[in-house]
Amino acid sequence: MRVCPACQHHNREGMLFCEECGQSLQGAATVTLPTRKIGETPPPYGHATWGTARFDENSWIVLHVRDAPQPIVVRPDRQIILGRYDANNAIHPDVDLEAFGALDKGVSRIHASITRNDDTLVLTDLRSANGTLLNGQRLIPEQPRVLRDGDEIRLGKLVLHIYFRGRSEF
Amino acid sequence: MLSFDPYLLLGVDRTASVEDIKTAYRRLARRLHPDANPLSPGAAAQFQDITAAYELLLDPRSRRNYDRESASTPDGPSMTMTVTLSKRAIMPLDEPQVVYLLIEIAPGKHAEKQPERRDSRLNLTLVLDHSNSMNGVRLDRVKAAAQQIIDQLDENDVLSVVGFNDRSHVIIPATTVTDKAALKARVSLMAARGGTEIFRGLEAALEQNLRYLGPRLVNHMLLLTDGNTFGDEEKCLELAQQAADKGISISAMGLGKDWNDRFLDELASRTGGASKFVASSSVVARFLNDHVRSLANVFAERVQVSVAPDPDIYLEAPFKLAPSPQPLDSTQGFMPVGSLQYNRLISVLVQLEIPPGLAEGFRTLARVAVSGDILDQRITKQQLVADVSINVTSNPEPEDPPLPIIDALARLTLYRMQERANEALERGDVVEATRRLERLATRLLEMGEPQLAEQARVEAERVVRTHQLSEMGRKTLKYQTRSLILSASTEDEIP
Repeated sequence: MRVCPACQHHNREGMLFCEECGQSLQGAATVTLPTRKIGETPPPYGHATWGTARFDENSWIVLHVRDAPQPIVVRPDRQIILGRYDANNAIHPDVDLEAFGALDKGVSRIHASITRNDDTLVLTDLRSANGTLLNGQRLIPEQPRVLRDGDEIRLGKLVLHIYFRGRSEF
Repeated sequence: MLSFDPYLLLGVDRTASVEDIKTAYRRLARRLHPDANPLSPGAAAQFQDITAAYELLLDPRSRRNYDRESASTPDGPSMTMTVTLSKRAIMPLDEPQVVYLLIEIAPGKHAEKQPERRDSRLNLTLVLDHSNSMNGVRLDRVKAAAQQIIDQLDENDVLSVVGFNDRSHVIIPATTVTDKAALKARVSLMAARGGTEIFRGLEAALEQNLRYLGPRLVNHMLLLTDGNTFGDEEKCLELAQQAADKGISISAMGLGKDWNDRFLDELASRTGGASKFVASSSVVARFLNDHVRSLANVFAERVQVSVAPDPDIYLEAPFKLAPSPQPLDSTQGFMPVGSLQYNRLISVLVQLEIPPGLAEGFRTLARVAVSGDILDQRITKQQLVADVSINVTSNPEPEDPPLPIIDALARLTLYRMQERANEALERGDVVEATRRLERLATRLLEMGEPQLAEQARVEAERVVRTHQLSEMGRKTLKYQTRSLILSASTEDEIP
């Protein structure tokens, strides 16, 4: 089933919008009910093979831009804007990717956001010019998708990986 | 006599052997037989069709007759149907899951250009409320609107006008629209008095419409009322069914706040018509004129959609997205969806619930059938069928749902939220109703609908205070969220 990231309502798997509050469920975590009995071999489906989507209180966001020597570490505020600083418009994104060749790689001034919902993070493309890809899938503008530890995010041609880390781990 | 292509219905070749035909029929019957699928009106209706097709093809003489007849008639224009699934592959799960089907119907290849001359003729009956509550400016504006409609029509069209209060008055008996001045003068004589009994009006209107009822015409009744009818709703719905069976669609417009929206919705849904909310008489002319315009340029009439889910699958909440958003009546095997215009798609969204514990592999989910009468030189009844299948696999390719489905659902969800707020209130759950309205307000704001959002917020506050919605607010939310659905899909005009 799909647990709504906004109101926690349990929607049936396959629903695209929360029945209860209208929130888009695209990218909402798929939760498989623990119906397996003890001693039974695990069923061959419904298991997440990727990183955790759980982003708990003590987690920080670590962004590795490909080929960059230093990761970017961000405090998980409610919303973080990814983009590039532009002196002409005085737009200050929370994460400024200018130093990583953002302009040449087609990153918009306001490209995407990472938003914190209770214990998940969601990535939303903010109608960027060149689009945002999450693990190779193009995001629909303004439609949030849940992020998992280790996901690959592509802003235009700029590739970065996101990790969830405790304060002591970096 | 079956008017559809029996080969197409059974999915067999024209050269199919008797054995092939039997196999094809048995395979379909396993999915559609009423014993296997007792709760599905769609399956029952489609079972009848395939059985008729089977019997026709099994009898050598009737098969030969059909072959000869169909060989001698040239291919006319046809409709096309496309069915899009929200997912191409699903995982087998231990819990139920949902898949959406978007069914789109369009005029086919031979119909690409719209004829210069308006091809479809109209057999229109206006059913106008002139009870006491219509007194004054309301009735004046309705009369003016009716007169504008008369101006829009021409001598190929048939018009009748019936007025009603607690009895009915035939103001214009069914006639071709030749002497417009005389017809308009008759309309202007209507005066407001008495109560509201919709059945009286509909009964007289049906009688008028039947006088010119024809398969080459768009037969339509348009009801306009501003009041509740008491105790005769059932009779009205029965009459609507009769009308639908004869190929007449009924649309209903509610003026102001004091009319029964559920009743008018059902009346329209049963016949493939539309139900609309006209907030004030100042816009009644626009509503009526737009509506009559939507009855022109018709390519196919009496279009119906049938969804027969496989025996383990459930059909939920069929909804017509375009051309006029309307919940569909899922108790009917073939759900009427009205007319197909040259330049508009008909699109229908349905939800299928898939049970837990599916086996892996490709499987069918449902059979979708569309039928309609194409108004060409001769009338061609046509039926299209599509089998919808899905891949059940523990390792599906990642995919995003198709954008048209997301777009439609984003808006349909708002309409459903409004419905759920009402349901909560009917249960007496004020807290739940308030919360739902507040959430609706939030979503509406996000969708760029600040005025409607404000209305939802005001109604949420009202619910806290008075434990009910205002009638005006409730209807505004219902019909405005419904018309938002159209803004997603009107761009579907065929270029």
